[in-house]
Amino acid sequence: MKLTRRDLLWGVAGTAGLLVTPVPWKLLDDVSIWSQNWPWIPQPARGPVEVKQSFCTLCPNGCGMRVRMASGWPVGVAGVDSHPISRGALCPLGFGAHQLNWHPQRLRTVRHGASSSSWEAARAAFAKACSEGPVAIVDGYPGRAASSVFETFVQKRNGSYRTLPGPETQALAPYESWSGVPAAGLGYDLENAQTIVSFGAPLLDGWGTPGRFTRLWAERATGSTDPQLRLIQVEASLSRTAARAWQWVPVHAGSEAALAAGVARVLLEEHLVPAHGPMPPMTLAEAAEQTGLSTAAIADLARTIVARLPVVVIANDDNPAIAALNVVLGAAGARGGIVRKSKHAESYTSAGTGINSARAVLIDATAAWDFTPSTNAEVFRFAAWDGGSGTADWLLPAPGFLEELTDVPTAPASAIATYAVAPGLLKARPEVRSAAQFLSGLDPDLVTVEKIIHTRCADLFRGRAGTLQGQGQGQETTPVAKFASVEKLEGQLWKGAVWVDEPPRSAGFRCELKEWPATAASTQSSENWSNAWRAPVLPPLASKLYLESSLREAPDRRNV
Amino acid sequence: MSTRRNLLVFGLGLAVTLLAGWVAFPRVLYVKKQQPLEFRHKTHAEKSGMAECSQCHALRDDGTFAGIPAMETCAGCHSEKMGTSKAEATLVDTYIKPGHETPWLVYARQPANVWFSHAIHVKRAALACTECHSTYGESDEIRIYQQDRISGYSRDIWGHSISRMRRAPHEGMKMSDCEDCHRRHNVEVGCLGCHQ
Repeated sequence: MKLTRRDLLWGVAGTAGLLVTPVPWKLLDDVSIWSQNWPWIPQPARGPVEVKQSFCTLCPNGCGMRVRMASGWPVGVAGVDSHPISRGALCPLGFGAHQLNWHPQRLRTVRHGASSSSWEAARAAFAKACSEGPVAIVDGYPGRAASSVFETFVQKRNGSYRTLPGPETQALAPYESWSGVPAAGLGYDLENAQTIVSFGAPLLDGWGTPGRFTRLWAERATGSTDPQLRLIQVEASLSRTAARAWQWVPVHAGSEAALAAGVARVLLEEHLVPAHGPMPPMTLAEAAEQTGLSTAAIADLARTIVARLPVVVIANDDNPAIAALNVVLGAAGARGGIVRKSKHAESYTSAGTGINSARAVLIDATAAWDFTPSTNAEVFRFAAWDGGSGTADWLLPAPGFLEELTDVPTAPASAIATYAVAPGLLKARPEVRSAAQFLSGLDPDLVTVEKIIHTRCADLFRGRAGTLQGQGQGQETTPVAKFASVEKLEGQLWKGAVWVDEPPRSAGFRCELKEWPATAASTQSSENWSNAWRAPVLPPLASKLYLESSLREAPDRRNV
Repeated sequence: MSTRRNLLVFGLGLAVTLLAGWVAFPRVLYVKKQQPLEFRHKTHAEKSGMAECSQCHALRDDGTFAGIPAMETCAGCHSEKMGTSKAEATLVDTYIKPGHETPWLVYARQPANVWFSHAIHVKRAALACTECHSTYGESDEIRIYQQDRISGYSRDIWGHSISRMRRAPHEGMKMSDCEDCHRRHNVEVGCLGCHQ
């Protein structure tokens, strides 16, 4: 077929004409929408829309969450303003949590090594391991009802229960060794502090419960040159928190402990505080040399710190020198400082130690994906999503977001005890099982999570202390003492209310620090803080929010 | 071939494409569908005294919008036939008596990831219903539902004008329409305002 001039003219005319019609633009729009509705893309069924109150269970902070459900499927989440700790904020991961259950890397089958297996085979292998030697269970969020199931299981088998404390809890560990109060029972009374000195903790970048400090900062400091709440950020680099802080103190990387010692020396020598702690052996000149600051600058910093009390010092790790500065300042066990939030908290052992001798290690789905036990034991790992490059022998599909009933104990850095229940809003798929269900299958005598939650609600009812704070309409607050029955109290908790303990009358603990702790180089800056906890996968919405906001994200995803 | 003939061929090709793009394309793209029942807003407003939109399209106590009234609302008056029309017979015999909801084709249906609050727009922003729905509440006939064959959504989402030019303010429910209106009213809403 020969191409003639007439054909060419037809073609040019047709193309030119087409471009001045709506056809290409409308087709482009339609095709893009059509591609969002391909049959294999999960779509919630059309039906009644309802909003349920719940809690984010992706990390131990348990932020209040309003879940919009269409025909029983979560299609959107939002923060709850009335939540006593998170106060309406969610992190990007939480905002996209409803998308996680349909993530392509969602685990749906039991895997043994590189091949598929079955629950029966996994149960048989774990039962065999239990009969051959001690087992260790690693729990990411201790204190839950499921944690009680784990503890009971290992106690009956002479095994070990291990936890993975977050950076906020790790930073409280020195006080545990000096006071005997478990770190899990301590918290930061940020709400009553006037000055906060952060040694690398990313307070304005998602530290602790997202929203707690950022809301405080917005209310008491933003836009003021002399804010009611002073944040002094000690950090080697101008992190996002340092950039927004009232004062940034740039020091040499790893010299935070030296600065803490230098400040403590000035405080004690100049009698700026009552002598609560020992004199650091490091001289001011040595501290100045290590930090890169002048001796005058360190002295000025010490005077600034105590200019507006109460003051609390927050570390980014368990460096004892920084914790000792709090003792010198009298902030350990004082209002506006480190306070005791619970008398019933337990002392946990970190998973970093003591599991070498185990025959098998069971890792709960709450453990951060990048946790890899240093052991030769057979590893059974529960996870809802496969984050890749796993080293577990067995990978066991766990319930995803809002697919299982769990309780939400007090957030790690909180200054007050709270308790909530996050019911399973979605029915879990038959192929997934939680670690607690798995263990109950091996030991039918174990008490179920639901019964433990019921017992805890009954304990709250009998204690008659604190209030129940509703998260729905009206946001009414009811003292526990006014509930007529445990069923009514439990019913409210199941509907999304939060139990909030009464504020402690006193901060309630004493730290005995006879000598200044050995000065160790501080570890990480807040820029690398997110190394401490990493999600196995990110939902598309979270990726978008991370990329378009200045919020923290995992370092290896930062330049994606 | 002379220049005159060249121009003629070019012009003919241009005219055919323009005609196809502006006239034939919309007719092919949209499939017309009848609503399951004939419904007259005007009759209900004038004869039944339901002059306020909110009498049928109410906001619930929790602020959510009830949308098209449920069958039980219609059954309040139409539990028995109120006339001899075919539509009345269909309403009572096919839907009300068996207790089935009428499968209305909703002109404004949006994807599931879009959250729109009538309460915020009607109560807080004090927008009149007509600002978005024009005078549809006074119409004497129900419009033909036109469905986009490719996207599956109503033509009302794109707007009646295929070029989206010279549209009336109430025409079009694309994201850009929401953004334009918010810009006009100087109201800022982030992504999560609508995509919760």
